[in-house]
Amino acid sequence: METYEAVLEALGDRTRRQIVHRLRSGPLSVGELAAALPVSRPAVSQHLSVLRRSGLVAYEEAGTRNVYRLDPAGIGELRTWLDGFWDAALDRYAQQVRDDTGSRAPRPPRD
Amino acid sequence: MPANLTSIEPVRKTVTVPAAPPRAFELFTRHIHEWWPLATHSVGIEQAAGVAFGEGPGGQIVETLTDGTTSVWGTVTDWEPPHRVAFTWHAGTPAAEATRVEVTFTEDEPGRTVVLLVHSGWQHRPDAASAREGYHEGWDQVIGRYAELAAAAR
Repeated sequence: METYEAVLEALGDRTRRQIVHRLRSGPLSVGELAAALPVSRPAVSQHLSVLRRSGLVAYEEAGTRNVYRLDPAGIGELRTWLDGFWDAALDRYAQQVRDDTGSRAPRPPRD
Repeated sequence: MPANLTSIEPVRKTVTVPAAPPRAFELFTRHIHEWWPLATHSVGIEQAAGVAFGEGPGGQIVETLTDGTTSVWGTVTDWEPPHRVAFTWHAGTPAAEATRVEVTFTEDEPGRTVVLLVHSGWQHRPDAASAREGYHEGWDQVIGRYAELAAAAR
């Protein structure tokens, strides 16, 4: 699966979006995330696994406190997809205009 | 917090076409069904039958599926032929906080138009009440709808 598709799958779940939102303020441990969300700690761990595989979240061992933080690489993949979406659509539009212009018979010059 | 850590900056795309703005505008809007790549860019994918661009403010951009059902992608907010059109973009989901697309048509030499498309509204947009709780519903809705659109477009 392409990386950006993994990002979209990860963000398709509301709890995972909440986790990503919480991490905007800074790195948090699993316990801190579970305390802030209406889901169990094992559920949070499961969601964090999905988010790590998608590249949205990274894990850091920091002494006695192991934390998760946001990783810009995942959002970059999302942006890449959005770029491609509009590139493809506008390429088709431009081709249509070229075909439309080319199909119009040139006016004969006035005498 | 780094500005672009989790927000998506507006997408800006430019294409130059061999037509004057009135025709470029008309082909983009009224004739969208002649070029929009439904096979890859739609809610229905293999069931997508067509798309229509409603004209004027409030006009809807609507996909029709082979079973006759429809899916609204967005609603026109600004209709200024031949130079500008803007619309919300929410691809079939309720449009509480859609993203926004603006397209401008500028003649750079006779018979040639530069078309600029800006897709914005992806950035984090806090609202006062939820900001106190640290959770931003608007962002959640935007990203959620984007994920649904993108998943449907695969």
